[in-house]
Amino acid sequence: MLLSIVIFLPLLGVIAVALLRNMGASAIKGIALVISLLTFVISIGLYTGFEAGIDGFQTDAQLYQKLLWIDGLGISYHIGIDGISLWLVLLTTFLTPICILAAWNSVEKGLSGFMMSLLALETGMLGVFCALDLFLFFVFWEAMLIPMYFLIGIWGGERRIYATIKFVLYTMAGSALMLVGILALYFQNGNSFDLITLLEAGGTFKPAMLLFLAFFIAFAIKVPLFPFHTWLPDAHVEAPTVGSVILAGVLLKMGTYGIVRFCLPLFPQAAADATPWIVPLAVIGIIYGALVAMVQPDLKKLVAYSSVSHLGFVVLGLFSQSDAGIQGSVLQMINHGLSTGALFLLVGMIYERRHSRMIVDFGGLAKKMPVFATIFLIVTLSSIGLPGLNGFVGEFKILLGSFVGDAFSKWYVVFATTGVILAAVYMLWMYQRVMFGTPDKTNEALPDLKPREIAVLLPILLFIVWIGVYPNTFLKPMEESVSAVAEKVKVKETENTPAVGQIIINGKTQDTVPEVETATGQLTKEEAQTK
Amino acid sequence: MPVEIPDINWSLLMPQLVIVTTLLIVLVFDMIDAISKKVLGWMTIVGAGIALWKSIEMLQAGTNLNQFNDMFRIDSYSLFFNIIFLVSTILVALISISYLGRDDKKQGPYYLLVLLATLGMMLMAAGNELIIIFLGLELMSLSLYVLAGYFRESPASSEAGMKYLLLGAFASAFFLYGIALIYGAAGTTSIPGIAEKLTAESQSPLLLAGTFLLIVGFGFKVAIVPFHQWAPDVYEGAPTTIAAFISAGPKAAGFAAFIRIFMEALPDIQTEWGGVVVLLAMLTMTVGNIIAIAQTNIKRMLAYSSIAHAGYVLIGLAAANSDGESSAMLYLLIYCVMNIGAFGAVILARTADGENLMISDYAGLGFRKPLLGGFLTLMLLSLAGFPPTAGFIGKFYIFKSAVQAAVQPDVVNTWLVSLVVVGAINTAISAFYYLRVVVTMYMREPEEELEFNPYPSTLVIGLVLAAIGVLLIGILPSLLVNSAQNAVL
Repeated sequence: MLLSIVIFLPLLGVIAVALLRNMGASAIKGIALVISLLTFVISIGLYTGFEAGIDGFQTDAQLYQKLLWIDGLGISYHIGIDGISLWLVLLTTFLTPICILAAWNSVEKGLSGFMMSLLALETGMLGVFCALDLFLFFVFWEAMLIPMYFLIGIWGGERRIYATIKFVLYTMAGSALMLVGILALYFQNGNSFDLITLLEAGGTFKPAMLLFLAFFIAFAIKVPLFPFHTWLPDAHVEAPTVGSVILAGVLLKMGTYGIVRFCLPLFPQAAADATPWIVPLAVIGIIYGALVAMVQPDLKKLVAYSSVSHLGFVVLGLFSQSDAGIQGSVLQMINHGLSTGALFLLVGMIYERRHSRMIVDFGGLAKKMPVFATIFLIVTLSSIGLPGLNGFVGEFKILLGSFVGDAFSKWYVVFATTGVILAAVYMLWMYQRVMFGTPDKTNEALPDLKPREIAVLLPILLFIVWIGVYPNTFLKPMEESVSAVAEKVKVKETENTPAVGQIIINGKTQDTVPEVETATGQLTKEEAQTK
Repeated sequence: MPVEIPDINWSLLMPQLVIVTTLLIVLVFDMIDAISKKVLGWMTIVGAGIALWKSIEMLQAGTNLNQFNDMFRIDSYSLFFNIIFLVSTILVALISISYLGRDDKKQGPYYLLVLLATLGMMLMAAGNELIIIFLGLELMSLSLYVLAGYFRESPASSEAGMKYLLLGAFASAFFLYGIALIYGAAGTTSIPGIAEKLTAESQSPLLLAGTFLLIVGFGFKVAIVPFHQWAPDVYEGAPTTIAAFISAGPKAAGFAAFIRIFMEALPDIQTEWGGVVVLLAMLTMTVGNIIAIAQTNIKRMLAYSSIAHAGYVLIGLAAANSDGESSAMLYLLIYCVMNIGAFGAVILARTADGENLMISDYAGLGFRKPLLGGFLTLMLLSLAGFPPTAGFIGKFYIFKSAVQAAVQPDVVNTWLVSLVVVGAINTAISAFYYLRVVVTMYMREPEEELEFNPYPSTLVIGLVLAAIGVLLIGILPSLLVNSAQNAVL
């Protein structure tokens, strides 16, 4: 029940804003902020009610719900969380109020529409992370496109229309194939979209490789994995600050979440077979993203390409077939959401002051804006992966897991590690050019951060340090869920001797499908005879 | 010689009889000069409403009986299609009342023809006999030819009527020739009779030729590529309300007869026509969607979009299982509601100097006219198949039935799988042009300030009904899915 409230409270906020939109700007902002804060506060209940010992989805009635929805098609409203989705849900509810606060004064037209889009987006994203029914998952996955489409398209920059259409079409093209994959799974799962039974029967679906690809391509576009990344820089650069934060912070995680939730446990063998093809792409993404980020003259584009690089790490860890690697990847999803979210917020703040994002336009800001420079430094270091801050823990675990997991050549890990060095190069070089040197005349008068802006950034900083110093708070609850996924993938290593349980499941699924088929076949024949 | 009069249970014909009665009442009231002719539109709505209510009642009762020497079949299949036709007629009447304006001379024949066409559609869905289906088809088509050219003073409308008449007559001839050949092969025109006579072994070239001529005939009527060329011109030239009407009910009627004949009379030669249907479906979706991208006129865009939607429905027929049938039926109902809604929103965007049909005219509309912008956005998102709208449920169910047919226990029908993949990719393609209108409405600045007419209340009622329908079916489709599943042949 609690989980449903968390998911749909923002939607209630959409309705409230729609009804009260004539009450003035501050009322609209107030409602949106209160609703999103309330959602966050309630979502903390998910953490306190979470039992870390369970390796599947939480069974507590507050955190799990199943209701029949469309019985004719075998669809139910089925939601729940495990140690992986818990953090992504909390990340979403955490970032949304921050975004609303960050957008406080920057929306000029259509404020109510902006807040409605943001809140609707929150519901969509939360639904994606909590859905345990593939149909429900797909509904949220697609529905979430609409508010994001409006956010970029209406409140974005110069080339916003091009960017938003590219974003929607890329995602839709990917998800079209995933829909076919979902349907093919449905008939092998006893005519049900239930994710729990699907996960139990993981590895028995056919044709595994095609189904794996149908899902994987949809997620790879979302991540985005090289070479599907071209929509990302456009979307990021044109999106309003808040759009970029949500996009980098949460939306990209839907891709990696999909991989760890569906691709790996449902098609472990196909995932293992595809690893030699995917890992090079991830490594190319890491290095390519870093190199392209290095030469960007535009701050926002730089951060956007750094996302390509960081998410390459996440994909690398996911395919490492090791607990540590997958844990690191899940943690890195959170880290990236915090660090890159904060970077986009900072770039947005400086853009509001200077109306430029070009690195050459800046210089010497550290003297004029000491608070800004300090926070920027911490976030920069977190993004690079400085020990003691969050980025280090995630990247370290990913690299470690990739090394010991032995799922692919260790040379890939070596190449990937250069990504860490390159990250230091492009981030610190950017920091140096923006913050040090002598400020020119136009930058002389830039005011430092306002209390509201500091309030926006402080919570993020808190977690950046927290994860860096004591990651166990976050790693502990996900351990069981991650090892459940890792277990699935590892079992497939011994491919020639399938486990006993699989044969039984295999037999069961093969029995159910023909039964249904003949039943309908007989029916039509009988009917034909009556006619 | 004594004439044997078959026992007729008139109560089974209530929906049709109500429409005939309404038609006669409209005819009579049209001759009375003293009253405002707007009443006729309301009479149409009330009459269609009663017929709708009767149809639903009979559907719930599970009526399944033959009438008139088995020439006429009242089963849940035809009753479900009755619902589609009557919902379309009610919505079209609602958006027509203000559209026709104060010109009293125009009202009477207009509603008369709409009702006649509706009657024709109901005959087509209930026909258990190729000749009855042909009669229904002609009754419907002849009314539509006149309606397409209804605005005599407008050259475009006249051209549309003429074009529709010529191509429609061709199509009818193909259809009739097909019937003749099938009669030659089977010796009967009764649908169950044909199925009885024909088994897979007894297929003759005559029968195959007849089958393909029927496909050509239906292809014209429901605008399947490559028989679609008339549609854009007719939709563009015809009065907008009639374009909405032609794109909805008659298309559903064409499919009603199409599916009944092919699934009930010719299931034994499914291997022969199945591949053709798969190819036509692929072609129709792809060509319709790709050409729609290039359109600048919103009516033409909707015309190509409606061609593409016929392709989606064909997937249901290609699946050739009971889920395929019910998904096609559900899709047609959803499609009718959302398409009429979209055309209704186009009518709502009228200015003092006529209709705004160029997509560029919609710039900035979303913020200046929030209600209109919201309606059109909702309908377009539904047409594009975004959840949580009805369009998504419809597409999903269609794809599901095709995957079910494709993935058999032992073999995978690669043709059907590729059909679903093509369909899914087409959904993404279609999003491009639907969203472009939304982009124009919300993300572009208007070039000139247009003075929009005040909203006519009947039109708004129609649109609100369509919007409620689209959202309700999208969020709680259970009831409709079940009744469609129960209504299969």
